[in-house]
Amino acid sequence: MKKLKLQDVVPFAAFIVIFVFFTIASGGKMLSAYNLRILLDQSMITIVVGLGVLFVAAQGSIDLSVGVNVAFSGVLATHISLRLSAPWLLIPAALAISAAVGLVIGVIVSKLKVSSFMTTIAMLIGIRGVVNYIQTKIGVEYLDVSLKILNEPYVKIPLFIAVTAVMAYLFEFTKLGRYSRAIGENETTARSVGVPVEKMKIAVFLLSGLLAGVGAIFTLISVGGSTNTMGNFLEMKVAMAIFLGGVLVTGGASARIYKVLLGAFSITIIVNGLALIGKSESQISETVEGILLLLILYAATAAARRDRRRSVKQAVASETSATEST
Amino acid sequence: MTESLERRGKLIFAAVFVGAIAVLAVLFHAVTGGRFLTASTLTIIAKNSVYPTFIAWGLCFLFACGYTDMSIGGVVVLGSFASCVFGNWWGYAGVILGGLAVGLLLIFINFNIFAFSRIPSWIAGISLAMVYEAIAVFLKVSDSTKPLVMVSLREEYRGLGQLPWSLVILAVGLVAVYFVYNLTTIGINIRAIGGNSAVAQKMGINLTRTLLKVGLIAGTLIGLASALQESYAGMTTVKTGLTSMSMLFYPLAIYLLAQILRDQINIIIAVPICSAIVYAVFNVLALLGVPSGTLQEAILGLFLIVFGVVGQHGNRGVVK
Amino acid sequence: MSTNLLEIRGLNKRFGPTHANVDIDFTLKRGEIRGLIGENGSGKSTLISIIAGLYPRDSGAITLGGAEYSPRSPLDANAHKVSMVMQELGVVGTLPAGVNVFLGHTRQFTEAGVINLNALNKAATKVFERWGLPKVPLNRLTDGMMIEMRKIIELARALSVEPDVLLLDEITQSLSMNNRELLYELLTRLKDMGKSVVVVTHDVDELIRITDTITVLRDGRVVGSVESAATSADEIKLMMVGRRIEGDYYRSDLAPDYSDEVALRVDGLTVDGEITNVSFELHRGEILAFCGLSDSGIHSVGKAVYGLSKRLRGTVKLNSSELRSATDALRRNVAYVPKDRDNEALMIRDDILSNFVLPSLDTLKGALGYLAPQRLRALALKMTAKLSVKCTDINQVMDSLSGGNKQKVNLGRWLAKSPELLILDCPTRGVDVGVKAYIYSLMLEAKRSGAAILLISDELTEALGMADRLVVMKGGKITRVIRRDEDFTEQSVIAVMV
Repeated sequence: MKKLKLQDVVPFAAFIVIFVFFTIASGGKMLSAYNLRILLDQSMITIVVGLGVLFVAAQGSIDLSVGVNVAFSGVLATHISLRLSAPWLLIPAALAISAAVGLVIGVIVSKLKVSSFMTTIAMLIGIRGVVNYIQTKIGVEYLDVSLKILNEPYVKIPLFIAVTAVMAYLFEFTKLGRYSRAIGENETTARSVGVPVEKMKIAVFLLSGLLAGVGAIFTLISVGGSTNTMGNFLEMKVAMAIFLGGVLVTGGASARIYKVLLGAFSITIIVNGLALIGKSESQISETVEGILLLLILYAATAAARRDRRRSVKQAVASETSATEST
Repeated sequence: MTESLERRGKLIFAAVFVGAIAVLAVLFHAVTGGRFLTASTLTIIAKNSVYPTFIAWGLCFLFACGYTDMSIGGVVVLGSFASCVFGNWWGYAGVILGGLAVGLLLIFINFNIFAFSRIPSWIAGISLAMVYEAIAVFLKVSDSTKPLVMVSLREEYRGLGQLPWSLVILAVGLVAVYFVYNLTTIGINIRAIGGNSAVAQKMGINLTRTLLKVGLIAGTLIGLASALQESYAGMTTVKTGLTSMSMLFYPLAIYLLAQILRDQINIIIAVPICSAIVYAVFNVLALLGVPSGTLQEAILGLFLIVFGVVGQHGNRGVVK
Repeated sequence: MSTNLLEIRGLNKRFGPTHANVDIDFTLKRGEIRGLIGENGSGKSTLISIIAGLYPRDSGAITLGGAEYSPRSPLDANAHKVSMVMQELGVVGTLPAGVNVFLGHTRQFTEAGVINLNALNKAATKVFERWGLPKVPLNRLTDGMMIEMRKIIELARALSVEPDVLLLDEITQSLSMNNRELLYELLTRLKDMGKSVVVVTHDVDELIRITDTITVLRDGRVVGSVESAATSADEIKLMMVGRRIEGDYYRSDLAPDYSDEVALRVDGLTVDGEITNVSFELHRGEILAFCGLSDSGIHSVGKAVYGLSKRLRGTVKLNSSELRSATDALRRNVAYVPKDRDNEALMIRDDILSNFVLPSLDTLKGALGYLAPQRLRALALKMTAKLSVKCTDINQVMDSLSGGNKQKVNLGRWLAKSPELLILDCPTRGVDVGVKAYIYSLMLEAKRSGAAILLISDELTEALGMADRLVVMKGGKITRVIRRDEDFTEQSVIAVMV
């Protein structure tokens, strides 16, 4: 029988508590078909972008540049597609630009050995400056109407499911996912086995950038145009979703696809639930999110330590029984 | 023999360093069409660079503990509020004590959370930043506190943020921080822990106790920075959506630059110098018409990466 | 007052399954310079670390100057006038040299939390002058200093407490010739002052020259003590090796037995500061063992061959084409088992399955890079059963296995691929006899199937027991290669190794 790890139970318990609390507090409004649609819609972008960042987090690194990358690739791609009057060019343009940003970060982190936290924070400052500058030149731009179809549920939802499925496949069933978790577990080990660590680091930042591009497309089609506030705060929302879902900050085997979904829905339910019970002010949701994040992170790390102590104890027990039997 | 060589090397470096700064200043003067080496520009730089210097000094202590506290911006906002409220009540004593009290209290709380929860400090700091930002918003919108915090610090109590007093504070701060960092047991202990915590602990240094004491020092510096910020700007804008984190970016660049120079200049002395350099550069950019808030931020980001790369040079360990 | 300063009776120390010190009796006289020697893992560093207060002992009694002595920490040991220069720990790079000299003892220069750096540096200068140590820039951070200078700072730190017992762990190897002479003079002075010194080193000749008596350790036990003036290097070396109870788990044939086909050809391999100009050939079906003391570079050879360290010069060819990197080696069916199992080889917080499949992902993947869960499970289950790894489930966390079972996974995951070349760095480290014998049988099985095996070993008996040919290294260079049918004895190896 597979033993449940305490560190994996904590985020589930938190999710259920949050869910039940707001369902009751909102008098069941939470579960209305209308509200469930909203929940899905509000979680979508966090999930899509989070699926990319998960690879980075699995390696024990972090990507705080995804929010600004959404804005950068979104604003530029919109402009390009409008200038060339090729509406559908939006998609490849957004993906190419965001992937390029990811690639640059990957190279800086892996080859120049600057910590990912520092690098992506610098990107967050720097690129946000560039986006604001571009915006002052070109102003708000609207997408071509032909792209409206993408925002129809029968297109958008299958698209979302497809992206999630592909990322789940890559993460759970390919070398990229396994090697990334190995790097997070122990980078020295991964290296001494022969895992191409540098290449894997570049690959995950590229992927994280690419998914930020997908996130940009989802944002653009639901908003209808580009503004410089695109992707604001998204990197934090994504990081929170991943950690609330139960991925340890050190990454490794604790990183799983389902945790991104779990964490993203937890956050959305908090924000949405607070709004349903009439507490929509940002300061309230910010406080609740901040404190919950602290509590859940604390519970998860403490649980991980407990799991570890328990297994070490087991090892010592089997060690002594082995020496006694010889 | 080594001693005298050492001294000569130091002198040569000092000469080159001062020379480089002079050349840079002249160059700046030239490219800005004679607008750099003027009283007004230099005054602005001097005033600008004081409170980030205090934050950067705080970072010197924080990083020695291995902590990256992303909530400092949020703390400074709340500290500035306190500075404003108490300043308007009690004058200069209120300006200083208000900022100091909030800085000390919150940074000490942060250190306790970092030390005991064992959550990596940067992510715990982000959570704390959210809470501190939210508190600031509460204070701003609540009817009872709004009239207190949403006003400016009275003109007559802003002297600490203006010349010449800001430079006096800087000088006093420099002596005090240099003293604490280099000549006290707590300074030596925290540097030992930052350098090699295994040896430090074997040599009888108590990790937790040292960390909490350093929390008080960092809190003092951040608290003073809040008071100086309020004195300089006269009022504080509330930041939400984690934008308070951006208040750390300039101090971070200053710290990283000082870190690169640390083999040559004691980091506590290097911080104000680097602060002046960084603000001079951005002032020149502004004089050249590079818009602030947009392209200047882009250049700041670039600086952070370049300083990070140079400072990291030669490190072969595992970097996440 | 008795002439015995330090007396140890029946001291024991265990680290997990390793019994590092077994019933040690040890007496040190006043004014005695004592040498401590033994192979790697013989327990000499553990012994002096216990004396220096780094670890507590499990059992046994220690008296210092007639009084019971149980130091709680190195500082406590210092208070009892016992100090040590450690092999590895070193100085704090972010502090200036002067402060490092008095690290942990800064209180004497402190008033109300303020350190008088002037007084501290003066005192440090005095320490350097008093003991005739070479000058060091006291105000500089130690980060950028040479290793030798940092060792001297550590020595000054140890001397600053005016020790009655000074413990030196492998200090001479990081000193240049003239500073070694200084150290020898220092020892004589300490002796004249009636102070005692314990010196640990691998250099037998040096040890005989500078000590009064030498104690030899083997497998955690004291083999015996001899007067330095009345002994010879050969006698010491023999004591270090001695007669050991040989298990019947080694191979029994007395001749080398392998194919003529060269699997691995290493030519002029050099890694900066570690190995110089190492060349050898390894044939299919051959076990080639590398032996040497801790600074001989044998472990670096394994790392460099697998492509894990930067090769300054030289070529490494597998089947006559260059092995470019670890990734290349992994792809070309080379296996590498590092020495440090928990920190370099395994993901100890991950489960058995993940650890088992890690090197085999390339062979397990199907179309579109698909790693079918059932295939991964099948491999892990098959190998777990084949190696009889004791576990409840393959989803069990690595950490919860015993050392022997961890090592089975560590080795087994490579054997699952039937590798062409196996680089094994201390494959039986920290496992019990039963697992040890089993690992040897696995090695022989691999050998029979034509694999080339590079065995790096800290245990000479193991190398002699298993190898077709044995390469002895010293100071980063190969000193001798011996065939199984030649002069294949411990004595002949020790003679060129120590």
